[in-house]
Amino acid sequence: MTGVALELTDVVKRFGDKLVLNAISLEVKRGQTVAFLGRNGAGKTTTMRLLIGLLKADGGSISVLGNDPLRDALAIRRRTGYLAEDQSMFGWMTVDEILSFTAPFYPTWDHALAVRYAKLFELPAKTKIKRLSKGQTVRLGLLLALAHRPELVLLDDPVSGLDPVMRKEFNRDLITHLQHEGQTIFYSSHLLYEVEPIADQIAILHHGGIVRYEAADTLRQDVKRVIAPKDRIATLMQHPQLLDVDYRGHETAVIVASAQKVIAELQALGCEFRVQDLSLDEIFEAYVIGRKEESGSPPAEPLSQSV
Amino acid sequence: MFLRIEKGSAVPISRQIAAQIRALCCAGTLTPGERLPSVRQLARELTVNQNTILRVYERLSAGGLLEMRHGQGTFVAKRPSARGVRDHRKKFMDEWQQLIRQGRMLGLSEDEFRELLEAALSEPMRIGGESE
Repeated sequence: MTGVALELTDVVKRFGDKLVLNAISLEVKRGQTVAFLGRNGAGKTTTMRLLIGLLKADGGSISVLGNDPLRDALAIRRRTGYLAEDQSMFGWMTVDEILSFTAPFYPTWDHALAVRYAKLFELPAKTKIKRLSKGQTVRLGLLLALAHRPELVLLDDPVSGLDPVMRKEFNRDLITHLQHEGQTIFYSSHLLYEVEPIADQIAILHHGGIVRYEAADTLRQDVKRVIAPKDRIATLMQHPQLLDVDYRGHETAVIVASAQKVIAELQALGCEFRVQDLSLDEIFEAYVIGRKEESGSPPAEPLSQSV
Repeated sequence: MFLRIEKGSAVPISRQIAAQIRALCCAGTLTPGERLPSVRQLARELTVNQNTILRVYERLSAGGLLEMRHGQGTFVAKRPSARGVRDHRKKFMDEWQQLIRQGRMLGLSEDEFRELLEAALSEPMRIGGESE
């Protein structure tokens, strides 16, 4: 299937006078798995809620599977699986009961799959939801989000309640059941090393906007740490894609995007330098907390002289 | 074929997989004509996005190491193409340069380098591990 599953165009969302999303734009193609990354409070959950029609945007437009989340919320819910960050369910129902209760809402409900997940997630059928552990509650939410074989799955930090073994099983299920059948997955998480192997694209949300949206491999090739002698680094400080600067003794390390260009420039200068690959965690950090001091006033100056 | 992925590593996953397949081919663990697991199988086994596996297979096929036969699967190439060999040579030369640099840092003299090289060259060649 081709086409676009999700489209946000210049979406603005305010809570009171706090601007959470400042004209965010993002397009997710059908069949893609997109990891949606951001710090706590960056607006990931707000974005998810806008997509499912639980919140109303203050500006811009949103399209989910070709529908408007506010006008066609029901149509979207039928074809979408949503795992909220904070699951609130009917505590007095048992696991079995909530499965039977939820099934009729979805024409495409696959009960065999629901039962399989219940077994895999070790959910006791006769236990009341309020008696489940935190991890079990998350897994139940996940089951309810996937059992109707939705075209689009919105997962708001799904693996946080799962232990490493279940996380791996869950990821394997995403790959074999969802990705292989061409389902679209929009996935937020703090465990970057967990999402990276699964994602086609990585979207980084920061300061109310998408600061980077790229294939995981491309991002790794594009963002590097370059270490060079301090006196040669002036060129790097002018670089428009500078993300982070760090000083250590007579060397300066910068993290830059478009690293190949920087490397070519340094080679042209005939300067000694080293290039380091970065993990997704480090790249993410550079985008969201990178420091970019002006070349004239490095704060580490006194420190490096005392060494 | 046993592969191992290190999550959270600075080495991208696709590069980890490609390097390990290349190493298995060089070591003779994967033999020419041998069939590799399907994209779907390997994706499931390693819990890695299928597109990533597909890209690795495609890249290694373009380099002449593997051969993707339509509808049949992916195989280790019978005869590595000229380009595959060229890529390998380039990689070897890079590693060689690095080794020399390390030796220099350790204070090895040119004579010592020569001795080491002579000794390595006079050793009988072994392919594919213990046999013979």
